[in-house]
Amino acid sequence: MNTSTYTNGHHVAVQDVETKTAYINGVAYSVQENETILSFVRRHFGNDYVPTLCDAPNLDPYGACRVCSVEVALTANGSRRVQASCHTPVIPDSYIFTDTDRIERLRKNIVELVLTDHPLDCLTCEVNNNCELQTVAARVGIRKVRYPEGKNHLDRQKDLSHAYMTSDFSKCINCSRCVRACDEVQGQLVLSMAGRGFDAHIIKGLDQTFADSDCVSCGACAQACPTSAISDIFESKSVVADKKVRTVCTYCGVGCNLEVAVVNNNIKSIQAPYDAAVNQGHTCLKGRYAFSFYNHPDRLRTPLIKRNGEFQPATWDEAYDYIAEKFTQIKQEYGPDSISGISSARCTNEENYLMQKFFRAVIGTNNIDSCARVCHSPTALGMQRSFGTGAATNSIIDLKYTDCIMVIGANPTDAHPVTGAKLKQFAMKGKPSIVIDPRRTELARYATYHLQLKPGTNVALLNMMLYYIITEGLEDKAFIQNRTEGYDGFKEQILNLNIDELEHITGVDKHLVRSAAITYASAPNAMSFHGLGVTEHSQGTFTVMLIADLAMITGNIGRRGVGVNPLRGQNNVQGAADMGCQPHQGAGYLDAYNPEINKMYSEFYGVPIPIGKGLKIPEMYDAAFAGKLKAIWLMGEDVAQTDPNTQLVVSALNKLELVVVQEIFMTETCKLADVVLPAASFLEKSGTFTNGERRIQRVQKVVEPIEGTKPDGQIMVDIMNRMGFAQPEYHPDTVLQEVSRIVPFFAGVKWNELGNNGKQWPVAPNGNGTEILHTETFKRGLGKFHFAPYKETEETKQHADKYPYIITTNRELEHYNSGTMTRRTNNVKILTEDVLLINPEDAARHFIEEGDMVCVESPRGKVDIKARITTEVKPGIMSTTFHFPELMINNITSSQHDSEALCPEYKVVAANIRKSKGKFKTQPQTV
Amino acid sequence: MENTSTIAFTADELKEVERLQSLYPEHKAAIMPVLWMAQKKWGWLSEDVMKYVADLFTLPYAHVLGVATFYTMYFKKPMGKHHIQVCTNISCMLRGGDSIYEHLCNKYGIRHNETTTDGKLSIEEVECMGACSGAPMIAINEDFYENVSLDQVEKLLQSL
Ligand code: SF4
Ligand code: SF4
Ligand code: SF4
Ligand code: FES
Ligand code: FES
Repeated sequence: MNTSTYTNGHHVAVQDVETKTAYINGVAYSVQENETILSFVRRHFGNDYVPTLCDAPNLDPYGACRVCSVEVALTANGSRRVQASCHTPVIPDSYIFTDTDRIERLRKNIVELVLTDHPLDCLTCEVNNNCELQTVAARVGIRKVRYPEGKNHLDRQKDLSHAYMTSDFSKCINCSRCVRACDEVQGQLVLSMAGRGFDAHIIKGLDQTFADSDCVSCGACAQACPTSAISDIFESKSVVADKKVRTVCTYCGVGCNLEVAVVNNNIKSIQAPYDAAVNQGHTCLKGRYAFSFYNHPDRLRTPLIKRNGEFQPATWDEAYDYIAEKFTQIKQEYGPDSISGISSARCTNEENYLMQKFFRAVIGTNNIDSCARVCHSPTALGMQRSFGTGAATNSIIDLKYTDCIMVIGANPTDAHPVTGAKLKQFAMKGKPSIVIDPRRTELARYATYHLQLKPGTNVALLNMMLYYIITEGLEDKAFIQNRTEGYDGFKEQILNLNIDELEHITGVDKHLVRSAAITYASAPNAMSFHGLGVTEHSQGTFTVMLIADLAMITGNIGRRGVGVNPLRGQNNVQGAADMGCQPHQGAGYLDAYNPEINKMYSEFYGVPIPIGKGLKIPEMYDAAFAGKLKAIWLMGEDVAQTDPNTQLVVSALNKLELVVVQEIFMTETCKLADVVLPAASFLEKSGTFTNGERRIQRVQKVVEPIEGTKPDGQIMVDIMNRMGFAQPEYHPDTVLQEVSRIVPFFAGVKWNELGNNGKQWPVAPNGNGTEILHTETFKRGLGKFHFAPYKETEETKQHADKYPYIITTNRELEHYNSGTMTRRTNNVKILTEDVLLINPEDAARHFIEEGDMVCVESPRGKVDIKARITTEVKPGIMSTTFHFPELMINNITSSQHDSEALCPEYKVVAANIRKSKGKFKTQPQTV
Repeated sequence: MENTSTIAFTADELKEVERLQSLYPEHKAAIMPVLWMAQKKWGWLSEDVMKYVADLFTLPYAHVLGVATFYTMYFKKPMGKHHIQVCTNISCMLRGGDSIYEHLCNKYGIRHNETTTDGKLSIEEVECMGACSGAPMIAINEDFYENVSLDQVEKLLQSL
């Protein structure tokens, strides 16, 4: 049910207030509620009918330029007043005149005055022919400026300090669109207007350059600026392109829509479409600017086969033959279960589907897993146990309807920037917001409550919240009664908890926890979000189940503005799981070990499908050591850098007879491979990604694949055919048709019907998507309460005496995971290295100063990292990233796993520190 | 981004800041009187002072600079002991404000926002000070002088 839309950037109810009309130039038209005169006129006469300068589709009305002025009278012949239409509500039955002489003269004069302080060098200007000022000037009929040349600002200097952003304020017309974009869209508050009158001018921070300011280069200001006063190095807003292709960003699970400008098969720039349901004209710097990796000289351009320890270029045919032969031989010798595959959450649904099909139907094993294992597998499992479906229950648009947000173990302003900006806007407006995180994240600074717990104690903290909700009598009894089961036993166990002990374990004041719990439970609608700070723990799955308990006990399920919403990390981690890239569930989450379902799969694929247990990623390494696993196929997965405990992974891969890697760059893992297949990047192929709110969106080929490369899906099809399984050529349309016949919640998904904004699954056979899950009943019938007691992780239990500090891992905005892509863009100019966040107290104890190298030692190994001293972390806790391979932070991370889903515990590492001496290079040691 | 400079209000002054903040529905509205306090204390609003005040309010730096530069009464650089503001906005201009400004500039050899070398005197050309009914007007430090002629200005200067 679509009852709302965006009009002029504002949320407006669509139902016409039937009888209400107003007159435009003497003719009556229907008026909508809360509509401005501008949106009213534009709705009936199109967007160009009234000129505007300071108004922008994604910003609140401002009323600065007055170019949008119209005359308004309350009666047919009543006196007329001039009003700025963009910020004046329509009065029903009023008379609006849009182009009288008086108005035309006024508009013309305004624009003329603006032009007196604007360089008239349009012909050489970057935005010539794409300039809103130019368009408006032409529209109001200016041929020449009548005013004599007076004082002006034409001598203002350009700012070219930044890797992406540029400014030339001689072109500025003081419309404040950039300031509002930075405030209202990104919430970074970098820009402001300084001075007044003639001196009024835009500043960045304390009148700094872009590079020195706190700017996060989201590009919102550049896209908003109507002239070239703020722009970027790609001249994004004015590029003249052969074609503009709409596609989906590949850098995170938000799934922003991008509009890519292409000239001669070269990508020139990326802008964000205003009509995108996900991102409404916004992006972060990764989506908008970090695309130049795609034709970087380092791209792999030919298949490589390792012979005698050296990679030698090969043709595709040679590579396929080599692999097919080896696979066949290994399969014959050791059986199909000696081969395993890891798919990629970076790749499309179609490619993931094909990969699991290749393993199940062609190789004949359930040894297929995906990188979801190392991030959100506990989410999928936990939510399946509680609700029956392991996906976000609601949509991001629900932030408009919710009264309270709770963000647990997630740092969305860095890791999910566009959703992060929305969450930040929510918190900045002073609305109730709770952040549960060991680090004082950017969001935590704005939140009403920051529960700064010790890493690894999520379960204890959530138990405290549940306790207070029950003791304060804030349960939603009707919801519990009608929609859930298992509550009585659960309640008893919660009430038996020793709160003081939990307070001690978490290190968070119980009164603060109580207030936060009351806030969450008493909000009419409360929404929770969680990230890898929840899942990458030994109790990850249990934490997810407790988050689900919190939602159920307060009745926050099944309507707008509520629910449990995992912030999915990689762009298609949802899709990889949906498509069946996990051992125990095939395409559509159907139980791969169930004979009935096995029969159905076998019939569907036309070959017998294995029913035996498959290996999860960590089990694959164990099997390699045990000599049971002989070959592995990695689709775009850099396991050597991104999986925990690097030494173990490296030696496991070294044990295998065949390692095949599909990649776009020579990663750490590629170096260990026997065959490397050069894949096409997301800009060079078509398919679908499913974002964190279950939205299946179209990825469209923007440029042809770089010479020598192939889309991952095509590679899968080729190898299937080579190994004797007839699979038609790769095309998203045909693969989706196949998927829609086997994955129940894809039943109505058709490539041609996905449109610009995709559809949220489940998609019914009639093509209708679903914004909110579990509205009437849960997927599993009744929602189930699960109790989980806090259990200390073995990591700290075993090592705390020798390794008293806890290191946790986090992300920085500028880089994506192991950074193979972002490190090959200008993003490296902005952030150049990994750092260790350390509290001043701990730093002082070890005589560590800002910028010193610190040797961090864990029970597995040690690395040297540069210290950044900050109170963002509490004493005893440190945090670091893993974007740069030089560091190999995973040399020190542990092999502890979530007890249920086997997701590795990246978030808790027992460690000791000292100031480094001498050399800083780290050598991955072998076990 | 933590501000490491040594600029800080005393405990009593911080109490005053709190009192001022409590007068408004939103704390940040007290930014103007607090900037004024800061200017009284340090003579002018240096970058470090503005950062300090911004951090007190957890406001973005650009916001504080925006406010400080909007109002001419906040000094963005050290000013003379006697700071003379001359209004040349419309009402004052029509009544001779411009010539008062030019006269002073010529007399002391300094112009807008400059200070004499001895640090005694500075001149600022300001936009409307809201005293149009007494145009032309000048202000010396915090005192307004209205309906001034060139002669009267001279006399005022001698009395300094
Ligand atoms: S790029 Fe984004 S963060 Fe930077 S100034 Fe512009 S709007 Fe603000
Ligand atoms: S920089 Fe651009 S958006 Fe900002 S005020 Fe100037 S013209 Fe408007
Ligand atoms: S928020 Fe995520 S999806 Fe959107 S542009 Fe940034 S990285 Fe891409
Ligand atoms: S567009 Fe309405 S005042 Fe600028
Ligand atoms: S114009 Fe000088 S005080 Fe108003």
